[in-house]
Amino acid sequence: MLSRRARITLSILVVASLTFVILDLRGGDGPFSSARAAVSSILGGIQRGAATIVSPFTGAGEWWSTQVEQSGQIRELTVENERLNSALVSGENNIERADQLDALLRVAGVGRYRVIPAEVIAVGPAQDFAWTVAIDAGSLDGLEDDMTVINGDGLIGRVLKVFDSTATVVLIVDPESSVGGRVAGSQELGIVSGTGRQNSLEFQLLDPLGQVSSGDAVVTFGSKGGRPYAPGLPIGEVVDVTGTAGELARIATVRPFVDISALSVVGVVVRPPREDPRDSVLPNAPSAPVTPAPAPSPSSSQEKETAATPAPSDS
Amino acid sequence: MILREGLFIGTCVFLAVLIELTLLSRLGIPGATPDIVVVSIVAISFAAGPLFGAIAGFAAGILLDFSPSSDTLVGVNAIIYLIIGFTAGFWLDPRDRKLPVMIGIAALSTAAAAFGTAVVDTVLGGERVNWTEVPWITLSAALYGALLSVLIIPLVARLARPLLTEMSVS
Repeated sequence: MLSRRARITLSILVVASLTFVILDLRGGDGPFSSARAAVSSILGGIQRGAATIVSPFTGAGEWWSTQVEQSGQIRELTVENERLNSALVSGENNIERADQLDALLRVAGVGRYRVIPAEVIAVGPAQDFAWTVAIDAGSLDGLEDDMTVINGDGLIGRVLKVFDSTATVVLIVDPESSVGGRVAGSQELGIVSGTGRQNSLEFQLLDPLGQVSSGDAVVTFGSKGGRPYAPGLPIGEVVDVTGTAGELARIATVRPFVDISALSVVGVVVRPPREDPRDSVLPNAPSAPVTPAPAPSPSSSQEKETAATPAPSDS
Repeated sequence: MILREGLFIGTCVFLAVLIELTLLSRLGIPGATPDIVVVSIVAISFAAGPLFGAIAGFAAGILLDFSPSSDTLVGVNAIIYLIIGFTAGFWLDPRDRKLPVMIGIAALSTAAAAFGTAVVDTVLGGERVNWTEVPWITLSAALYGALLSVLIIPLVARLARPLLTEMSVS
């Protein structure tokens, strides 16, 4: 049992509280209103201070969730930004590729070559001394050995080896490459050989008295059956001629139209044109194929043409 | 354990060949193509010993020779790289591993690879090598090799360390 003193204290407290309750039940501005105001103002101040101190901890959940939400947002935006950036870059890339394909189609359309587009996927290292590249089309796409490879600027080379889905292309600048060439606008024939340097070819005229001068364009005269070289493809521009007319070693330096160091979209000629397109494929050539000079009758001109250039038989 | 080392060497060699043929050779850099393949072989030889250097050199050479982008005689690169891979690790005393020395050997190796290809190709009757270009190709190959080795040798050494701890460096 409790001690007497304790019992008295408890009783007083119970009575006091009951008294307070009863007094307060009366309502209105009771005797406690000012006391209550004082206490609540003190207590309220302390509580507010405590809340400020504790808030980082109690609010941690909320703060954390905002943080997560924001970092999620940041991640989303970063991803979107990257996506847009890459879309921008690939857009530019695609425009460039589209331009190259356009140029290729122009050449193919004007010269009536049937081409299969492909892309250069690898380039042999320079220290191999061989100018060869790999393209991403092969026998499954209808490629065969010795087909002509072009791009929108002109002749690139020929197919050397064909695999299932890739092929090796030997470029015209390769030292082992030689192409039959014809000076545009004339019947001067010669051999265009690679030198191993990417911006120069050697053009040796078959006729030592033939006329060739700087600025002349050189096109392919075509091989039998259009292989390895289809007729009428732009090769390059004569930049220098060594030796005088009549000299045996008369060699013209030709700068290729194609930029060998920046090959990307190429076309493989799977079927050469029925007729030699002559000079019509050259960048600034008249749109209609140039007919060989005096043409009394179509048949004789055709014969003369075939005799002059052994190439364009469609069989 | 051979499997793990083989896998490591194979991956290194494959990546190097891929980077060389699809990226470095298309940059249009004057002179030789930066020869990341030879530098990687030399780095493997330093990290794993001359035997593994030789194996890596052989594998890389065969891979390069069979790549559709090249028209070299199959085996030429393989034999040249094999010799380089072996020599680099054999020549350099394992106690004398200083980065400048290793870079020097890498540069020498790339130059030797370029020059060796020219010599072998000519000896075997190829007509592609233009000897007036060879000095410039060799010099530029050495220069690019030195630059690449600054990155590649420490990288390969770092990657190889956990794999090759139990391997004896002869």
